[in-house]
Amino acid sequence: MSVPSLKRIRQVPRHLLVCEKGHARHPRSRHAAHVWDHAYNCRVSFLIPECGLLPEVLKSTIADFGEYYLVRNLSVHELVSHEFIDAFVKKGSCYALTYNTKIDQDNTAALLPNGKLILSVDKDTYEELGLQGRPSQYSGKKAMRYAITIDLTDSSFHPDSKKHNRVLWALKDKKPLEFDILLAWYHTGAEESTVMSYFSKHQIQALKPKITFSTIRDLQCPVLDSNELEGKPEESCSTEELFEWLGAVWNQVSLDNKSSSFLSTYCCPQPNTVVEKAFLCTITGFIIPEKITQLLEQLCCYFGEPKLAYWLTLTVHGFADSPVSWRESEHGFHKGGENLYNFVIFRNLDYWLQMAVGSYDDCPP
Amino acid sequence: MARAEPPAASFERRVLRSAAEYHYLRVRLELPDGVTRPTVAQFKQLVVSALRELHGEVGAALPVDVLTYEEKTVSAILRVISSGLVRLWSALTLLGFYQNRRCAFRVLQTSPFLLALAGNSRDLVLD
Repeated sequence: MSVPSLKRIRQVPRHLLVCEKGHARHPRSRHAAHVWDHAYNCRVSFLIPECGLLPEVLKSTIADFGEYYLVRNLSVHELVSHEFIDAFVKKGSCYALTYNTKIDQDNTAALLPNGKLILSVDKDTYEELGLQGRPSQYSGKKAMRYAITIDLTDSSFHPDSKKHNRVLWALKDKKPLEFDILLAWYHTGAEESTVMSYFSKHQIQALKPKITFSTIRDLQCPVLDSNELEGKPEESCSTEELFEWLGAVWNQVSLDNKSSSFLSTYCCPQPNTVVEKAFLCTITGFIIPEKITQLLEQLCCYFGEPKLAYWLTLTVHGFADSPVSWRESEHGFHKGGENLYNFVIFRNLDYWLQMAVGSYDDCPP
Repeated sequence: MARAEPPAASFERRVLRSAAEYHYLRVRLELPDGVTRPTVAQFKQLVVSALRELHGEVGAALPVDVLTYEEKTVSAILRVISSGLVRLWSALTLLGFYQNRRCAFRVLQTSPFLLALAGNSRDLVLD
């Protein structure tokens, strides 16, 4: 076998894990900024060791996650109309993402809260649309995928401008694009959400995120030292070991295997302690960063009173088929579309943050 | 006397490029009707024999862990050392028979991060 083939057989798909540590109450701490920058989240889960019952304030934060909407067969040109822009984009944070479209196969659209509409389209659609875009970073030598970004709040995008008319013509007449779209709108105002009434002519459903609670008994938890990201032998575990352990807990993997076992040799990283009980909560749906920030803040306040737990974790999974991961970094699906992050909040409000992305992703900020 | 609180952690950032020691695969074995579903040990044996068939004895010695197994759906999460991912995936793809009946492995999700397998937005079903 020639050397290049041997190399290929041992090849590993590119991936990145960014590990940060800091203090949540530091004036220049950027932990909240990472949450804000990650727009599309499909699953939020947290784990609190030594906790049997969730405090009321956390319960109410979760119950207050609000609604999101699923609009069936919505034409993209409706998101570009000035009625929509004035009613939602300019008056709060509007998030939209196509539902059930695969980023590596189908056309996808997403609306960011800063007013940018991103269309990730295949070559044929791009040529038919006739709008200015750029080839996908991950498309290889022959561009088969293109990304078009339209700034809806740009001053040159006013109702009678050439730009606006061309975009509207492309999306309405030249190549109409229709999708099932997940929508969420966050506004700080007393008035009720008008999303349902605005899309009353379409098939729209208001949905609430699904929430599940569970408790695990006698859970082996790694011992962590907030100052030691790499861990210290015999004293604390590293951030990678914690990340794998957390995956094992959420996937219900047995943490107690012998090294001679035929089936699995995975066991909890050393050093570890056994906690009597741990509280787990999972929230799935179309979840916006505003709500995650509130939850993160409440989890930091959890340690305001003396608690047995030394740390707790908050994990957020992004959509595998979203066209962007953090900010406006292009996201793709190679062998997996992972773009997730995890917080570990310690008793003294130190935090660890792990951000994980796959092959077709830029390094998270 | 109150114990002094340890000092607040200073900011630190580390970027680990393609450094995951293991890769994880969520797989499902599709079997025709009437075939008894394998137990976890039989499932692991099937994976080892698939490796042996394609990559020989050295391939069969590749350490693969069956982290979880659900007999009802015959689905499992496998863990393999990162450099062995291509060998394992190719062996599973080319396995065609179980107990002389046609079968197929479907790789549902793969990631170098086990935590990524806990959530799959492609499985998000909204009524």
